[in-house]
Amino acid sequence: MKKIIILILGIFLFTGCTNNQYKGVVNVLNWSSYIPDDVISDFEKEYNIKVHYGTYSSNEELLAKISSSKEGTYDLIFPSDYMIELMKQRELLEPFQKEKLNNLNNINIRFLKQPYDSNNEYSVPFLLATTTIAVNKDSIKDNITSYQDLLNEKYQNNIVLIDDQRIIIGAALQGLGYDINDTNKEHLEEAYNFLMKLKKNVKAFDSDSPKTFLITKEVDIGLIWNAESILAKEENDNIEIIYPEDGYVLSMDNYAIVKGSKNKENAYLLIDYLLRDDICERIIKEYPYISTNKHVGNLSDEEVSVILKNGSYIKNIGEHISDYDKLWARIK
Amino acid sequence: MKKNKLFQYFLLFPVIIYSFLLILIPLIYVLFLSFCKNDSYGGMIYEFTLSNYLTIFDFTYMMILLKSALIALIATLICAFISYPFSIFLMDKSERTRSFLIKLVMIPFLTNSLIRTYGWIVLLRKNGVINSALIGTGIISKPLSLMYNNLGIIIGMVYTLLPFMILPIYSAVSKMDYSLVEAAKDLGASKWKVFKEVILPSTISGLFNGSLMVFIPAIGYFFISDILGGGKVMIIGNLIKNQFLTARNWPFGSAISIFLILITFLLVKLYKKIGGKMDDLGGF
Repeated sequence: MKKIIILILGIFLFTGCTNNQYKGVVNVLNWSSYIPDDVISDFEKEYNIKVHYGTYSSNEELLAKISSSKEGTYDLIFPSDYMIELMKQRELLEPFQKEKLNNLNNINIRFLKQPYDSNNEYSVPFLLATTTIAVNKDSIKDNITSYQDLLNEKYQNNIVLIDDQRIIIGAALQGLGYDINDTNKEHLEEAYNFLMKLKKNVKAFDSDSPKTFLITKEVDIGLIWNAESILAKEENDNIEIIYPEDGYVLSMDNYAIVKGSKNKENAYLLIDYLLRDDICERIIKEYPYISTNKHVGNLSDEEVSVILKNGSYIKNIGEHISDYDKLWARIK
Repeated sequence: MKKNKLFQYFLLFPVIIYSFLLILIPLIYVLFLSFCKNDSYGGMIYEFTLSNYLTIFDFTYMMILLKSALIALIATLICAFISYPFSIFLMDKSERTRSFLIKLVMIPFLTNSLIRTYGWIVLLRKNGVINSALIGTGIISKPLSLMYNNLGIIIGMVYTLLPFMILPIYSAVSKMDYSLVEAAKDLGASKWKVFKEVILPSTISGLFNGSLMVFIPAIGYFFISDILGGGKVMIIGNLIKNQFLTARNWPFGSAISIFLILITFLLVKLYKKIGGKMDDLGGF
């Protein structure tokens, strides 16, 4: 009996070592639902490079993973705007060698040179997410254009919000005419009052799949990511997608190479592959964020400029985050 | 004999390593962190401070603690109200019926609790199974708000934690001498009196044991308040989670965790004081 167990364990032990048919590897950490699995497996087949693919669900989780693991564990990561800035400061990133990419020209130049990395020294943009208001026009006939409009008492228990303190407090600040990264205590107090009013209309805070609330008609209004809005619209064509006139959150995810990466060449090959038009098309089809590829998507250059101009990036606010956190705890 | 002892230690070795690496060391690390300062980028400054513990006593956080305790208390009471009749009902049943029904209580354990919680959405939501059925049969005309509020959280907590109450109460009730109940009945005690004077006093340790096992997780089960409460209500579990994920304040999160452990110790002390045995907390 014992021998059989040892034999079985032995087999398990050795099955782990069969990566030999690949000529190289690349270690990737990415957001949990951003690139379809078959896009990655097609890359493995085409380039004969094994992709070790890990995921994270927040920038903070990414930071924790990168700073707590040995240099050289990861090659390619996809941090958002403010996290690029923070990782740059902490010297966790390699300078980005743009010359290694053949398909860099596919990127619409309007997405380059963003404030968090103004010369694209450490990053190149991959996808843009924005917050949007999605409204089910079947039941809501009013014209909603701003965050103030959401305070209408008619919408009691009829709104779903992203469960994120920076985004929701930011929306309240913008609704009041302040900056999304405002840390003034009085302004935050006003935001608190704004959100307590809004909370009466909120059915739920959900970050995992707020579109479901709209699709199942649990609520008629959502302050949710653009991709979620678009997916909800695919289910119900009467859903209208609105960019609030008082502003909204921009969140740009970027390609970046981790300091001490051992498979840089392979990482650039993968980035180059992901920049291809057909691949961007496949990614956007499944996760309809705004692609930075100029040949993909139906936004004109002007529309892209307007979206970028009216939106704001969430910035690192240092120790003031504890004020936000306390405010959030009071609201809930 | 001696060799045998050595072999025993050898067999215990994995458990010792396990508790050491995965329970003791992380706990010590959490305790250590709770006295550190935070650098607001999620990093730690290794300087001694008590400020994390003082922050807990801030009005905002005390309210959250109170709210969590209230929700947990209600869930615990409901669990107790369901568990006692069930256990007493089992008292005079045959061994086979008993073991069959207890197995039914255990079966949900085989599925991940997160998945079971998601299952409740299908039942409770606005156009979910319960509301559709009630509207379909004409009992109500407007859908009831069964979830995305405190009610949803309590339903979820009771459902998830009920077995932890049933098992200790059942074990206490089944250990007690049934002839006492018969004697009380023969002497003319009403059913309520039998329960109050005979059953409750001799099974109180089971009740307290179950209450501990329900109350403590109920303060911390953040996924239930996230999913069935619609993220509108923050309980202590959510607060701790936020410190580690969004607020990037690990020391404060650690301090709340240690604070929760202290409350648990206090409750266990109370349990011992009223005569509960530690053995009953461990195994049933």
